Amino acid sequence: MTAKSKITISRRTLLAGASGTLIASRAAWAQQPAEVKVGLLVPISGLYARPGTVMREGAEMAIDHINAQGGVKALGGAKLKLVVLDSGDTTEKAKNAAQRMVAQETDLVAASGAYLSSFTLAVTEVTERANLPMLTLSYSDLITERGFKYVFQTAATAGAQARQALPQLIKLAETASGKRPKTVAILTDNTGASIASAKAMREGLLAENQLQLIVDETFTPPLADATSLVQKIRSAKPDLLFFLPTVISDAKLLLEKMNEFGLGQGKIPTISFGIAIAEPDMLQTVSPELLQGVLTCVASWGAKGHEALIAELKTRYKEPWMTQNAISTYGDMWVIKDALEKAGKADRVAVGEALRTMDGGPSKYYPLGEIKFDEKGRRVGAGMTIVQWQAGVPVTVFPPELALAKPFWPKT
Amino acid sequence: MLRMRSLLPPLLFTLAYAVVSLGVTNSYYQLILTLVPVWSVFGLSWNLLSGYTGLISFGHAAFFGIGAYATALGQIYFDISPWLLIPVAAMLGGIAGLLIGFPTFRLQGHYFALAMLAYPLAILYVFEWLGFQEVTLPIKRDAPIAYMQFADPHFYTLLGLALMLATIVLTQVIERSRFGMALLAIKQNEAAAEAAGINTLAWKLRAIILSGAIAAAIGGFYAQVLLVVTPQSVFGMLVSAQALTVAMFGGVGTVWGPVIGSVILIPLAEILHAEAGARIPGIQGVIFGIAIVCVILLAPEGLFWKLRDLLRKRRAPKPTIDVTPEAAAANITALKPVARQRAAKGEVMLEVKNLSRSFGGLKAVQDVSFKLHKNEILGIIGPNGAGKTTLFNLLNGFLKPSQGEVLIDGRNMSGQRPHVICEAGIGRTFQVMRPFLRMSILDNVVVGAYVRARTDDEARKMAADAVARVGLSAVADRLAGELSTKELRLMELARAIAGQPRILLLDETLAGLGHGEADEVVAVIQQLARDGMTIAIIEHTMQAMVRLVDRFLVLDHGAVITEGLPEVVTRDSRVVEAYLGKKWAGHAAN
Repeated sequence: MTAKSKITISRRTLLAGASGTLIASRAAWAQQPAEVKVGLLVPISGLYARPGTVMREGAEMAIDHINAQGGVKALGGAKLKLVVLDSGDTTEKAKNAAQRMVAQETDLVAASGAYLSSFTLAVTEVTERANLPMLTLSYSDLITERGFKYVFQTAATAGAQARQALPQLIKLAETASGKRPKTVAILTDNTGASIASAKAMREGLLAENQLQLIVDETFTPPLADATSLVQKIRSAKPDLLFFLPTVISDAKLLLEKMNEFGLGQGKIPTISFGIAIAEPDMLQTVSPELLQGVLTCVASWGAKGHEALIAELKTRYKEPWMTQNAISTYGDMWVIKDALEKAGKADRVAVGEALRTMDGGPSKYYPLGEIKFDEKGRRVGAGMTIVQWQAGVPVTVFPPELALAKPFWPKT
Repeated sequence: MLRMRSLLPPLLFTLAYAVVSLGVTNSYYQLILTLVPVWSVFGLSWNLLSGYTGLISFGHAAFFGIGAYATALGQIYFDISPWLLIPVAAMLGGIAGLLIGFPTFRLQGHYFALAMLAYPLAILYVFEWLGFQEVTLPIKRDAPIAYMQFADPHFYTLLGLALMLATIVLTQVIERSRFGMALLAIKQNEAAAEAAGINTLAWKLRAIILSGAIAAAIGGFYAQVLLVVTPQSVFGMLVSAQALTVAMFGGVGTVWGPVIGSVILIPLAEILHAEAGARIPGIQGVIFGIAIVCVILLAPEGLFWKLRDLLRKRRAPKPTIDVTPEAAAANITALKPVARQRAAKGEVMLEVKNLSRSFGGLKAVQDVSFKLHKNEILGIIGPNGAGKTTLFNLLNGFLKPSQGEVLIDGRNMSGQRPHVICEAGIGRTFQVMRPFLRMSILDNVVVGAYVRARTDDEARKMAADAVARVGLSAVADRLAGELSTKELRLMELARAIAGQPRILLLDETLAGLGHGEADEVVAVIQQLARDGMTIAIIEHTMQAMVRLVDRFLVLDHGAVITEGLPEVVTRDSRVVEAYLGKKWAGHAAN
């Protein structure tokens, strides 16, 4: 600890303290539970507006449920109020929005955001310095490797996901087909998340799981033609195909070509990472038949136990299914609520402390693990889900305790 | 004195900005105050290359990103302080400028712009491939100041301001020097600039190196402000566009343009994002776009020039209209045409031997030979398409001859670059005038003087002298945009003689002039010849030519038909035939 950071902290604490007393005195004066503000910093304009909007829907649902169930009891039934800020579509805009959030919404107790991991990285540089607890579904390992104290990653990190995914997929293949896969092909675009996943597989994970890499192709989106890629796969005949697109048109092109070559509809089990291939937008360009059987490993998804939420999301927002963005953000609000109960006061530093020390038992809204964070801010035991396109809907098929449907595997 | 006066506005502006910044305690507003100088410096760096030379760069993000990544990676892998890394980034940016500029300056206009667009996009993929999708600057809790990590955001603004002030002053110095003049000349007409003795490639390279260095430095600082570097955020299309937007909005080719642009646009975008965007997500982009379109429509050259024009009109509407034309007229008529002794066949200044040039199957100039004697006025005539201008282009180096020699003082100069030939003593004017409309007559002429002048002062003196010789001294301070055709022709003449050439090539100097006006220009040319200048002139109008020249060289279909004294040549049936057709050739003989 240097003099410098001490000064910052004391100033911030002072500020937070002041706002705390302000709320307290107002509450005392009004003799009524005050509102507690929670931030949501997500892209609601620009390129990423769609996922950001879904996150907002999840957050709104959670806030309504929490308030309907009596608000924060430790604060005399104080209601939560959602403050939504637009992170825009660039890192600079996200950082500006974060600065605006900490400068102008001084009574926020915690926040959730910011979808893209590069946005989350920039945003948390700001929130960390303002001692504002930030929950995020972004899963870049970097986010919680900087020694920050106010960042809480609810999803398994990319590295952890890669480690978990392969054994689970092998288990899934064995249970469904009775045969253990031996050879794999990797087909990835060169965007950040895809590269990270592919790299982890190439550098050890495949070997650890006794899988042999027989085709390894990287392409730059957008693809103009997938013929040569598919030909390579057809001649190599791998047991599994890892396909990591980010752009929907690339996914469409490849799946169509696979179908054309008689490899589609799961004849070669096709596995993706991340939610790109399971977004509702997929159906606007790709027919459900082509998607049938495609698997993807995601950090979180609407699963067993969320049936009521999925139904509500469908009727209230006309969303066809519940993606990671909706369910994770829904969960974030409940975690913040729990932290408020534990802290006993509407103060960001206290909420941060509560999040660091809380032990909320098994997780209800994130897959597996507990509502508990390790010293880095990563959720303890965070699992992941495997989702499969079945009859035009991506449904959770793994792990079994969360599965909404049985996985199917082509018998070759 | 002049230096101090020009320093004052940026100093005052910076001071006022700093005072405002220190008064702002809200950290969000402070961040916006930091970003304004960042983007204005980036705009200034773009302006230094594209604003002054007119070669639009769509790819300035290349330099910006190199600076940002250098600063970020240097801290992560080598634990070097950004105080050191930002200057290093500037050096890397300069090197990148050289490497990018050298091949790309072969292209012009749209092709240059598009080629520049490719660089940052290509580099973006390289950085993605290298695995630098997301880079965060390590937090330094032990020595924040040594690593430029201030807890008090005011320091970022002040640092950004310091960089901006430095860039403004540097730009001002350049603007006023030979460097700036050369760039402006390139912008107006690169060919004319070459002909005026400016080594355009060398100056363009200097400009892109400096521009790249500034862009990289500010990119490094930006990384320090944002703390996260991603390929999209520093190499992306939007970054390159940002430089263009602030500069074009505020005013291109002026030091204040990018500053005005970013002072208005950066906060405006942010306010729209925060206020309008909160109500209707996405509307901020629409409003911002419409606002820019409107301003560009109303002030196509940017706010600065629009405001300056308005101020000029309001401040002094009378004197420019009433007084100057009289003075100008008075001065020009003072030069009375005086009969001149025909030049004796003196020493040979320029000798052309068997010069040929073809474009594909077209023989534009074939086997032309002639001699130009000291203090002679040679008229080169011929019908349209006879190859007159092509001949001039071969003489001054715009075109390389397919065959033949151009001997200047006995040295073969054929195939040399135009600025080299200009240095050897050949000046020229152009059929199509390319004045620098925003500049005064004197400034227009100074460009031509640099080929001989060693210092800026000497160039000014030589330019003033040239302006006096064509009789424009009284109106020397007027903007070229306000001049008549005759005055522009005279100004071009002054620009050609400012570099003190020994041989002057005049391409249709009398075109577009009325009778009386042509006489005045002819008087000036005669005066030049009396002062010892050797002149070759292309002209269509025979009348003026017959009185002016000592000898004619007649071209048709790229070849010399005849050569000789005016009285003889005008009666030559081949000449009449070339001009008027066979039917008239018989009349001429009678």
